[in-house]
Amino acid sequence: MKKKVVSAISGLAVGILASTVFFGNFSTEQTQSTAAAKTNAEKVYVPFGEKDEYYLFASGGHSGQMFIYGVPSMRRIRTVPVFSLDSATGYGWDKHTKEMLGGYTWGDLHHPAFSETNGEYDGKYMFATDVANSRAAVMDLKTFTVKDIINVPNTSGPHCAAFVTENTEYLFLPTRFSVPLGNKYESLDDYSEKYRGVMSAVTFDEKKQKLSIAYQVALPPWSYDLSDAGKKISKDWAVITTYNTEEATTNLEINASKEDRDFIVLFNWKELEKMVKEGKYDNVDGQKMIFPEKHKGAIYLVPVAKSPHGVDVTPDGKRFIASGKLAPALTVFSFEKAFKAIENKDFVGERNGIPILRYESVMEREVNPENALGPLHTQFDDKGMAYTTMFISSEIVKWDPNTGEVLDRVPVQYSPGHAVAAEGDTVSPDGKYLVSLNKLAKDSYLSVGPSHPESMQLIDISGEKMEVIQSAPVDPEPHYGQMIKADKIKTIEVYEKDEKNPNAVYNQKDARIVRKGNEVHVYGIAMRSKFIFDAKAKRPDVIEVNEGDKVVIHLTNIDLDEDITHGFAINKYDINIEVQPGQTNTVEFVADKPGTYPLYCTNFCSALHQEMTGYLLVKPKQ
Amino acid sequence: MASKKLSLQSAIMISLAGGLIALSLFFPWWGMHFIAPQYPEGLDIVVYPNKLAGDIDIINGLNHYIGMKPFSEKSFPELAYLPYVICAMSIFTFVVAWMRKKSWLYVLIAIFVFAGLLGLYDIHRWLVDFGTNLDNNAPIKIQPFVPPIWGENRIANFVTNSYFSTGAYMIGVSFLLMLFPLWKERKK
Ligand SMILES: [Cu+2]
Repeated sequence: MKKKVVSAISGLAVGILASTVFFGNFSTEQTQSTAAAKTNAEKVYVPFGEKDEYYLFASGGHSGQMFIYGVPSMRRIRTVPVFSLDSATGYGWDKHTKEMLGGYTWGDLHHPAFSETNGEYDGKYMFATDVANSRAAVMDLKTFTVKDIINVPNTSGPHCAAFVTENTEYLFLPTRFSVPLGNKYESLDDYSEKYRGVMSAVTFDEKKQKLSIAYQVALPPWSYDLSDAGKKISKDWAVITTYNTEEATTNLEINASKEDRDFIVLFNWKELEKMVKEGKYDNVDGQKMIFPEKHKGAIYLVPVAKSPHGVDVTPDGKRFIASGKLAPALTVFSFEKAFKAIENKDFVGERNGIPILRYESVMEREVNPENALGPLHTQFDDKGMAYTTMFISSEIVKWDPNTGEVLDRVPVQYSPGHAVAAEGDTVSPDGKYLVSLNKLAKDSYLSVGPSHPESMQLIDISGEKMEVIQSAPVDPEPHYGQMIKADKIKTIEVYEKDEKNPNAVYNQKDARIVRKGNEVHVYGIAMRSKFIFDAKAKRPDVIEVNEGDKVVIHLTNIDLDEDITHGFAINKYDINIEVQPGQTNTVEFVADKPGTYPLYCTNFCSALHQEMTGYLLVKPKQ
Repeated sequence: MASKKLSLQSAIMISLAGGLIALSLFFPWWGMHFIAPQYPEGLDIVVYPNKLAGDIDIINGLNHYIGMKPFSEKSFPELAYLPYVICAMSIFTFVVAWMRKKSWLYVLIAIFVFAGLLGLYDIHRWLVDFGTNLDNNAPIKIQPFVPPIWGENRIANFVTNSYFSTGAYMIGVSFLLMLFPLWKERKK
């Protein structure tokens, strides 16, 4: 009996050993070869029925739009209009979006930023700024539509934004251009005295879905370029790069590049908040304006290699990395050292009443990858390693912020501005993917003539070595992106019925046209495949008005079905709006042209979409 | 001998049947699942004793193309009184369990069979009504059709699948429970 047990156990042991030998995996080399066994094509192929792992939100630059891509396929999924008119979605024609755009027809969307909770993307909102017309916008990620746009006074070109604090308390908007307060006329000879680079602290009210300005800070008349909010130990702080601290007013290319050092503005937003509470501000143009020379203790300057672009806080919140776009080196600064220098008043002077910290006291190390030129912007992976774009030497450099050691370099085509890693500016980056946002495509794609697309290159950063695995053309012009795990975003497919909305009609029998003096109010529906404006009329799909009438059309899409969007356009009246499934949308216009105008559904909806038509009849004045 | 009472076990089974009948009120009885190339996930009509559920609005929106009348809870008067009928059936079943008389059980089974057949006929009647009374003005003309009460059918680009659901199965089980005493107390 005992013998049997022993032989059974030993037999089992031999079996386990054998299986380990045959199927076990001891060498790291083997792991790598299996990972490499997946070809680049396999890494980026997402077959029908499966979805991408990440959303990439790429700023659309002067298209005024946001481009939504899937990663790793790099397929463009959608273009979401933000600051520019977009006839594909009727953006800027319906009442709400027209009012939001405020008469502007375009914008220059620079840096997108997700709302955050505890320093992580929460997938609820996306913020963006307009450098062209000093605006900020918020997009609701349930619908991927813009909910509010705010005009920011006293400032011009919030290039340096948007960046949000760890729990989306604020969205800070520093400015690229300094202008006189109130944008009044002032001679450029008085630049240093009369101009200011105002930074705005914007808050977002989730319930009302409204942006507002909490306060502004009258920073010196310099150009503010990029910024990042602190994390964890530095969460109350934020950093901004500046250039043209020379305060040049012409030929900036030369005159703003004279000094060897510019500054990083280091500020404590909790302190600024406190100042506002204590009334330490002036009223300027209806805004609470903090003047740093009057109210001290919240803002400091850190010298940095000249003309810096990016400044990025490491995921642990302990360091910030800045790079001078003309200098070859990256500089790693320590928040802890900066806090100590502030405590010890380790200042070397001041500018505009703002103390300047001693460079050596804050700097931790300078990193100088051989022959690398033009470091612009840094992202991070899950191990805290840094990836910096080199605009001039056209490459991505991977390096260790703890030691300064350069780990890998990969060329990209051509001239990367920003890069975006998977959740790469949060407290816990995912690693995996990095997208290089290249400013030049040159010969990368089929030629479309002298004006080329830009280029985005997907880089696999899961291994020790980076590998470029895909390339996708993109319209002008992604300045920065945000990459979020797809399952964080929870969209809706159909707008819920809102029985309290007086403009909504959910039962086709309730469609009606109401005349009030020379105003005509239409409460209509769109459904596959007809419009009903007046259910009781002989021709329910006709709107008849008199010349000069103000026409208000409320249209509800009663197809509460996934992807059944209708459009509504009136020929020659320059009108086109969109009604998404279940949505009620409004368009207003004055019927100032008499005549007969066919109207139709612009968004292909059904087999009889072509029949989804009607007429606007405008009776001429007697 | 006819006055001999049913066993306690039989009475419990009949009570159980009564309970199941009452419980079935809260479950769907019948449904139809539609699949089309554009609707790979399918659309559903789900019929409860007192309400309709599923993608009624969407299905109505599509049905108007073939001239089918839109259906709603209002178009089925049964939904208004069916819950009462089911409640009454349940109460009567409990009464029979309480009485423990075989003759009453026969009456119960007879009513049950009759009501069941009537129910099936009613569903069929509606299927005929909706499938054959198509509006002549419809944009798409199709042959009138009668989908089966149970099983697959094809209408235009849709494959439909009709099926009985939880509530109907509960009724089926309760019917078996009613039959149990007849077997248990059969003359040996
Ligand atoms: Cu349509």
